[in-house]
Amino acid sequence: MSSRTYQLSAENVNVWFGERHVLKDVNLAFPSNQVTALIGPSGCGKSTFIRTLNRMHELIPSAGFGGKVLLDGEDIYGDGVDPVKVRLKVGMVFQKPNPFPTMTIQENVLSGLKLSGRKNPNNEELVETSLRRASIWNEVKDRLNDPALSLSGGQQQRLCIARSLAMGPDVLLMDEPCSALDPGSTRRVEETILELAPQMTIVIVTHNMQQAQRVADQTAFFLSEDGNPGHVVEFGATEQVFEQPVDPRTNDYVNGHFG
Amino acid sequence: MEKVIDLTPVARPKASQPWARKSPKFIASAAFASIIPAAITLAFIATAGLDFMAALIAIFLPLQVIAAALVGVSVYGRRGILEGLLVVATIFFSSFVFVLLGSVIWSVVSNGAAAISPSFIFQNNYYIQPKTSLEYGGVGHAILGSLLIVGASTLVTVPLGLATAVYLTETQGKSKGIIRTLLQAMAGLPSVVSGLFIYAMFIASGITTYAGWTGSLALIPLMLPTVARVTEESLRLVPAELRNGALALGAPAWRAFVQVTLPAAKSGIVTAVLLGVARVIGETAPLVLTTFAADRTNLNLFSGQMGSLPTYLFNYIAFGFDESIKRSWGAALVILIIVAILFISARVASGTRTKARK
Ligand SMILES: Nc1ncnc2c1ncn2[C@@H]1O[C@H](COP(=O)(O)OP(=O)(O)OP(=O)(O)O)[C@@H](O)[C@H]1O
Ligand SMILES: [Mg+2]
Repeated sequence: MSSRTYQLSAENVNVWFGERHVLKDVNLAFPSNQVTALIGPSGCGKSTFIRTLNRMHELIPSAGFGGKVLLDGEDIYGDGVDPVKVRLKVGMVFQKPNPFPTMTIQENVLSGLKLSGRKNPNNEELVETSLRRASIWNEVKDRLNDPALSLSGGQQQRLCIARSLAMGPDVLLMDEPCSALDPGSTRRVEETILELAPQMTIVIVTHNMQQAQRVADQTAFFLSEDGNPGHVVEFGATEQVFEQPVDPRTNDYVNGHFG
Repeated sequence: MEKVIDLTPVARPKASQPWARKSPKFIASAAFASIIPAAITLAFIATAGLDFMAALIAIFLPLQVIAAALVGVSVYGRRGILEGLLVVATIFFSSFVFVLLGSVIWSVVSNGAAAISPSFIFQNNYYIQPKTSLEYGGVGHAILGSLLIVGASTLVTVPLGLATAVYLTETQGKSKGIIRTLLQAMAGLPSVVSGLFIYAMFIASGITTYAGWTGSLALIPLMLPTVARVTEESLRLVPAELRNGALALGAPAWRAFVQVTLPAAKSGIVTAVLLGVARVIGETAPLVLTTFAADRTNLNLFSGQMGSLPTYLFNYIAFGFDESIKRSWGAALVILIIVAILFISARVASGTRTKARK
């Protein structure tokens, strides 16, 4: 794994779906080795935004995009940048656990290597380190050749995290990774995030205010009002966003008054 | 704590299904409703000497409908009328289809079984006259011919069908609408027209004489719509999350397709191929026009006429002798058996991996 971690930043990101403008002028910077939480009411564009960070957004047929996303100073939307290379550096964990159903646990961990056409001589070692980093090694070490779908939902989600980690990404994007999990599994995933944080830049979308406070160094609050495109209302250190928000709407939201 | 799914089957207490429990009143009236009409109908047949089919339609069905409606009302009140009628209609029509299908299969099996013997399966038709007794000659050449002709079309059609389905599901191509319409039109193409087309193009024009490969060509447009549409459906059923998961790991689109989407759709694709083969294995008209028929075993798709099961069946029916018609039934049964073997082996092939991993 590379020891360097990249800083990621979004500059004037605008997003359209067909004619509809859903994100307007988003400017966010994600410092190396920190966790950033994205919060905001449903439909304000958090998932859409996070998908622009590893060029998954463009897979939607009607998608439109404007602005820059800098990864280690280089615009990932620049001319000649291969989206496949971007996704190798910027991993993603989805809301719903999505292990590959036709593969075993071990094959799932190594699937990224196979899928990107790479070979790794130390497969077994990589499987173990990845599963350990995703805090699921102890639960699956004796059943690595079982089908991935024989795991519980929470285990599946951590397997998906392990699968991303095996690729050695510099940035990990997580879109509501715990929304389908029970409190116990949620806690495990949060612990995993905190363990990973010193080594990589993490961006996490969450609807859980406590979770944001537990894991995130900084927090961005997105809002889309009355059909206007979503935008960032407040962005800063997590404590400040939750304790002394500048904008009254942030205050209302984090205290559960709307959304 | 963590949840581990236990994969070994263990003795469980017999599962109860409270929702499936029926009240005694319901059971009684349902029994009543099924026995009385049947009894009355039987009585009529016995006493008045009515024809069975006539009694079934003129007496049993109306009585059954009335009885069902009455039971419906007594159990559920007014909304029960419709419910009762629906139940009768469903049972009646499904048993109708079932009987129809069963009788077709039964007539083939009972008539064909008499013809089937090792010599019928393994020998060819050389030196055999329409009236020759069934001890001599058989459909060996036709079985091989059918397998070769259909096998060759399958080899061409499956990649084509797969490519079409991939174009329709995985890409954002602009001509999807046209391709879909074309496929639909192709599905409606009468097989004889397909045969005629190939005949005119290759045989009447003197490019070749009757040959196996022209038959394979004529079957392709008949098979393609089935293979492409069923494959398309099964690819569509693969959840988008899996594809996105693969792409997010840095997979090029084609690898994501080959390593994730395709394996997930595997059993559907096997079914597609199978339905395609089943669609054409009994096709007669296009083969009569292109491969014609041969009595000798011909394993060369590229030269000479070739026998096949449907053309054999067709020819021997046309002779009209008792012996020859028996041979036709035999050929029909062989076709059914081949289709059955294909279905079973494909089910097994597509099922093993998933089962082993469940
Ligand atoms: N594939 C799409 N096509 C068209 N519009 C879309 C698509 N995906 C999202 N949108 C629209 O973009 C806006 C932002 O959606 P997005 O999924 O990013 O919201 P979100 O903040 O992630 O919400 P949630 O918290 O419910 O997940 C919504 O108004 C949504 O309707
Ligand atoms: Mg979302």
